[in-house]
Amino acid sequence: MKLFRLMKLKMNSWAILSFLITIIIMMPILFITFEFFTRSSENWEHINEYLLNSYLFNTLLILFFTGLLTVFIGVSMAWFISAYDFPLRGFFKWGLILPLAIPPYIGAYTYNGILNYTGVIQSILRNFYQIEVNQKYFNIMSIPGAIFIFSVFLFPYVYLITKNFLENQSASLVENARLLGSNSFEIFFRIVIPISRASIVAGVSLVILEVLNDYGVVKYFGIQTLSTAIFQTWFGMADLGSAIKLSGILMMIVVVILMAEKWLRGRKKYSYSNSKVRPLKPVKLTGYKAWAIFAYISAVFLLSFFIPFIQLVKWTFTTYKQVLSDEFIGLIWNSTFVAFTAAAVIVVIALIIANFSRLFEGRVTNLVSKIVVLGYSIPGAVIAIGVLTLFIALDRQLLIFYQLIGLTPSLVLSLSLSMLIFAFVIRFMAIGYNSIETGFDKIGTTFTEASRTLGMTVTQTFFKVDLKMIKGAVAGGFILVFIEILKELPLTLILQPFNFYTLATKAFQYAGDERIQEAASASILIILISGVSIYIFHKVLEKEPG
Amino acid sequence: MFVQLKNVSFHYKNTKELTIQNFSLAIEKGEIVSILGKSGSGKSTILRLIAGLEIPFSGSIHINESIMADDKQFIQPEKRGVGMVFQDYALFPHMTVAENIKFGLKKMSRIQKKERLDEVLALVGLKEYVKRYPYELSGGQQQRVALARAIAPNPSVLLFDEPFSNLDAELQIKIRDELRTILKQTGITSIFVTHDKMDARALADRVVVMEEGTIFRVGEPAEVLNNEFTMSPVPV
Ligand SMILES: Nc1ncnc2c1ncn2[C@@H]1O[C@H](COP(=O)(O)OP(=O)(O)OP(=O)(O)O)[C@@H](O)[C@H]1O
Ligand SMILES: [Mg+2]
Repeated sequence: MKLFRLMKLKMNSWAILSFLITIIIMMPILFITFEFFTRSSENWEHINEYLLNSYLFNTLLILFFTGLLTVFIGVSMAWFISAYDFPLRGFFKWGLILPLAIPPYIGAYTYNGILNYTGVIQSILRNFYQIEVNQKYFNIMSIPGAIFIFSVFLFPYVYLITKNFLENQSASLVENARLLGSNSFEIFFRIVIPISRASIVAGVSLVILEVLNDYGVVKYFGIQTLSTAIFQTWFGMADLGSAIKLSGILMMIVVVILMAEKWLRGRKKYSYSNSKVRPLKPVKLTGYKAWAIFAYISAVFLLSFFIPFIQLVKWTFTTYKQVLSDEFIGLIWNSTFVAFTAAAVIVVIALIIANFSRLFEGRVTNLVSKIVVLGYSIPGAVIAIGVLTLFIALDRQLLIFYQLIGLTPSLVLSLSLSMLIFAFVIRFMAIGYNSIETGFDKIGTTFTEASRTLGMTVTQTFFKVDLKMIKGAVAGGFILVFIEILKELPLTLILQPFNFYTLATKAFQYAGDERIQEAASASILIILISGVSIYIFHKVLEKEPG
Repeated sequence: MFVQLKNVSFHYKNTKELTIQNFSLAIEKGEIVSILGKSGSGKSTILRLIAGLEIPFSGSIHINESIMADDKQFIQPEKRGVGMVFQDYALFPHMTVAENIKFGLKKMSRIQKKERLDEVLALVGLKEYVKRYPYELSGGQQQRVALARAIAPNPSVLLFDEPFSNLDAELQIKIRDELRTILKQTGITSIFVTHDKMDARALADRVVVMEEGTIFRVGEPAEVLNNEFTMSPVPV
């Protein structure tokens, strides 16, 4: 009786919409899970027997060493920046985030362009010093090369989370250790690493999810991994069954990673949530120590941002006349159109679900908000295969309907942009949702309650009060999603309709066709726009001091 | 009885024990009742239950002979005709004073809205401030706008949650006296929660002292507040 009454009270249109959306968002993943166990495929035996092990081995190898290196670089950077003062510290503090603006696949072909036979280094050596180098040493297109690329462009995840933790939470422990006469090494290994464990784990899991999501780097370097295999089975063999099986395996790795993250983080979140936040005061360094740290950080900054960026700028200047054509404008339009549409859909859905879950707290609503953000940990290729299976199945169901309305019976939905946009919505929902949820958290529920005691329903309140008060968060979320989609590669590659290219996929295609210089204009555009996103995220949304 | 709570019990979602236990109270039309009690005793929760912002676990709430909540029914807050002045006023920051006050006047023509706005502004003495935004007002002025906004739709019951806690002592006394005049003038049944016995004495017709979710004492202000030994001191 009581339960029934509660249910009736809560079954308003917000709840119904939220549940519907959640189910729709879950569909592709449910579909993949189902097909994973049921569908057979002719090639699977072969793949399983001869290829799967090397796919798995390569994937895990890259994951492991990228994880290790990003932890090493990220944590050391975080510690130096938060504990010491040295030349240009203020600049590096922000500069070390910039590598995130360069998607690893762009970094990959840029580095190849720098290092290969016609690249700047070999040309100079050849033309000015008559040195012919051994190509073996200048070939980045290998597994170590991929690890290098992922590490230099993704370490900022570890750096950022760990730095924020150290700056805000470690002051008392570190200062005590200093007073007790521990030297820097002792402090770093006995104190800093253990207390930042949770932040390091959080950062490195983001890195790993990014690596699992990647297709561009490994494909460009010709490395066989799970994600390239998914593409191959689908595009090369049109074998959806095997693609689904591989996606399932990739998903299992993700689940293991997420569980490991939870377990390694322990019950602590990344803060000791000390209400008294006292920032760690950096110690001023002089002499060789200052310059050693400066040299190390500069080297990382040069490799991870400055060098590739300058190279891309230079290429843009030499090739923009050929590239800046109607086609380029068309690419910008395509990218903008899909990113805009998907971002708009995401913001609307995020608003509905975030409002529902904040006004009707409970176990079910909690679950709903967890499910909608799930897509962010699922690799793009997996989402793409899931959406593809779903849409092809839908098209089969609709075949008769198409005939009725006089269309030639064919795959309508699965060849349209709606499929791509749907996949973007699943994958990037979390970004929009988190931003909007933060906005709601900041205003609390008092204004909503005030409005209701003044005679407005939940829905009227939403439009007149809530929405107007979280405008900033909505705009922020929209922009962040928009930019993420502009950069996106794997999903777009699988799901883009025939002859439809975005900036990202075209740049990638140029690079694959050995026309790296032509890829530069689109790449630079993507990097500049990503820079805006990083700025918004850290300056506007987080309102971090300094 | 105008407002009637019968054996109301309630607990918040994430708690096991009851926040409100078997709470019964009857209030006459036009009466001003003040609820006193220690922090955490459940004063705000009672107001939220009356306003419809929380759903009682058991018991019933009636206002003006209509059921607001019992085992079978629950009337949503926007349908109850209960006004509320929040502790931090909750003035909508993106609206001017005039827009804030007119917010609750739904079924009126524009001219009627304007008339009602002028009426309540005169009541709280804020005529010159209509075009300002909340952040351009002092604490006392914001408090009066919140009052005006709550009064404007002619609620049958008005609830106040520590309305003076953000004001300095001098202003508190001034506004408290104004408030009593306004409430008696309009004849609205009111309940206000406070930490301050002086507030209760100056404003209320009747005082309810709460402890751990139930009524500890009820009665005339003089009677309840003078018997110090029966009441634990309420920290300010
Ligand atoms: N949203 C909530 N969720 C869970 N528990 C709550 C919530 N709001 C209040 N409580 C708990 O319910 C009890 C009563 O709270 P209430 O706010 O009614 O007290 P109060 O008498 O108004 O206190 P104060 O004088 O400090 O405002 C407290 O123990 C409080 O911790
Ligand atoms: Mg309270």
